[in-house]
Amino acid sequence: MSFHSHILTIKGVSFSYNGHREILSDINFSLSKGELLGIIGPNGSGKTTLLKVISGILKPNKGNIFLLNQDLNNFSIEKIAKFISVVPQDTWVTFNFKAKEVVFMGRLPYISRLKGETLEDYRISREAMKKTQSLPLSENNIQEISGGERQRVFMAKALAQTPQLLLLDEFTSHLDLNFSYEMLNLLKKALKEENLTIISVFHDLNLASIASHRLILLNEGKIEKIGTPQEVLNVENLQKVYKVKPILINHPNLQVPQIIM
Amino acid sequence: MKFSINKSPKEIAGYTNWRKKLILMILGGSLGILGVSLVCLNFGVVSIHPKDILFTLWNSSQDKTKGLIVWQLRAPRIIMATLTGAALSTVGGAFQGILRNPLADPYILGVSAGAALGACIGIALQHTTGYYLASYLPLFAFLGAMFSLYLVYRSSKISFSVNSTGLLLAGVAITFLFSALITVLLALSKRELHSMIFWIMGDLSTANWEKISIISLPVIIGCLLLFFSSLDLNALSLGEEEALHLGINTGKLRIRIFLISSIIIATVVSFTGIIGFVGLIIPHIARLLIGPDHRIMLPTSAFLGAIFLILCDALARTIIAPSEIPIGAITALVGAPLFIYLLRRRNK
Repeated sequence: MSFHSHILTIKGVSFSYNGHREILSDINFSLSKGELLGIIGPNGSGKTTLLKVISGILKPNKGNIFLLNQDLNNFSIEKIAKFISVVPQDTWVTFNFKAKEVVFMGRLPYISRLKGETLEDYRISREAMKKTQSLPLSENNIQEISGGERQRVFMAKALAQTPQLLLLDEFTSHLDLNFSYEMLNLLKKALKEENLTIISVFHDLNLASIASHRLILLNEGKIEKIGTPQEVLNVENLQKVYKVKPILINHPNLQVPQIIM
Repeated sequence: MKFSINKSPKEIAGYTNWRKKLILMILGGSLGILGVSLVCLNFGVVSIHPKDILFTLWNSSQDKTKGLIVWQLRAPRIIMATLTGAALSTVGGAFQGILRNPLADPYILGVSAGAALGACIGIALQHTTGYYLASYLPLFAFLGAMFSLYLVYRSSKISFSVNSTGLLLAGVAITFLFSALITVLLALSKRELHSMIFWIMGDLSTANWEKISIISLPVIIGCLLLFFSSLDLNALSLGEEEALHLGINTGKLRIRIFLISSIIIATVVSFTGIIGFVGLIIPHIARLLIGPDHRIMLPTSAFLGAIFLILCDALARTIIAPSEIPIGAITALVGAPLFIYLLRRRNK
């Protein structure tokens, strides 16, 4: 597989809250268009913080982030929202909106507060629901559906935002096996057809191995290893970071490493 | 694209046509306010035949006394109730949205306690110095409200960065502090007790056209400005970070909403005193009736709040006529059971 221009470049990024212990230190990597990059690592290794730094919510103390070769500091959050969308881990909604109304919120970066939305905004929202198979949920109240269903609705919302870069934070954590599988297929399709690039935090190493072109293994805020699943997921790396000795086997169909205990 | 009410469909690409819903709601709400107002014009100490009231509305020169009662006493009161109810409910809805807390009300940042303290100080000063200050009480109240806002803002900045939790906690603390000061004032004064209590529990009996002309502009413009933040409030329902991801500058949004709301509330409270409960329950009722979309929910709250307060005020001046009950007592007495009933029905 060949990747062309870089959509995202991260140079020497460090982050800490108010000068306390560094949560991210000296992060460097580049991301090519059409790539799916997985981020793995133990709890507290800085996975979610890295996503927040990329999405512009947290400002790094050191280093630079370049989105489409422009410094992220030059982007307002209004502008970032047209390039990057995020599927969060926490999908609780304060008020009981219908699922379709939540998906429609993905269009907010494009809607003028004075003129209002256009027909196109509704069409895109509906299309995003179709793609994520959340259309049957559209009339349901968001507080009354399951965590997995909410994640599908939030995925639809993120796609309705028509981003170039999609950030996912453990999006499969509440999904059933079949939906995890379908979401993976959906993402792979979106990578090809919609010119999308994805960074996803994975808790499940096996899923990360199957889904990702490349993996970043984070350990205490530093990149321990970056590379293909074959390069990252080996006994030596995993033992160093996770402090247990796993058994690795090769996936019989996909030829990627899988971990069993 | 433009929607006209007859041609426009009920749904667009599977989405409710909220503009159509909004226009229908405004038509219904306006009729509701008109109907309730006409009925409530009949309530009062002096009984006037409904026919005479309609007659007076068309031609006030016929009977001087009746014209005076209808035009100078009852009508201003009803319009004051309309504006106050709409203002309290819209701000309540906006506060619940911005704080992501369905228990927020317009007074949560201590504006009410500040206004009440200001007014009570005015009343006490009038008594001790002998100067006639009654017509300046709204000014005292407004200054009190602004002072409490300033304190809340400053103290939340010291201990927390200006976030919702910090503001809420500071608001609660300032409210307690000011309530304590009011209690001290009440304990020190005896004769003025009654007028102070009417202040603390809300009072529409002093409504006149001049007051209406002062509050109508901030209320109407303020509520419209809040309305144009509806989509941002919707997004905030997904959480602070999600709203940021959708390109919404939540810090600026929060300051904008708090500032507009506080000016609305400080103005209203300065003339009516603290009318509780309206701003808490009406947005809930609106949400139960019409859904949480602020684009429709906020205007619906305004209309429902207006109707609710017109009715409560009619009760306040008729139940023990010729005496009056403070309207804040009525809103709580009527509102609390109504609210519990609606919550029960919703859970079934």
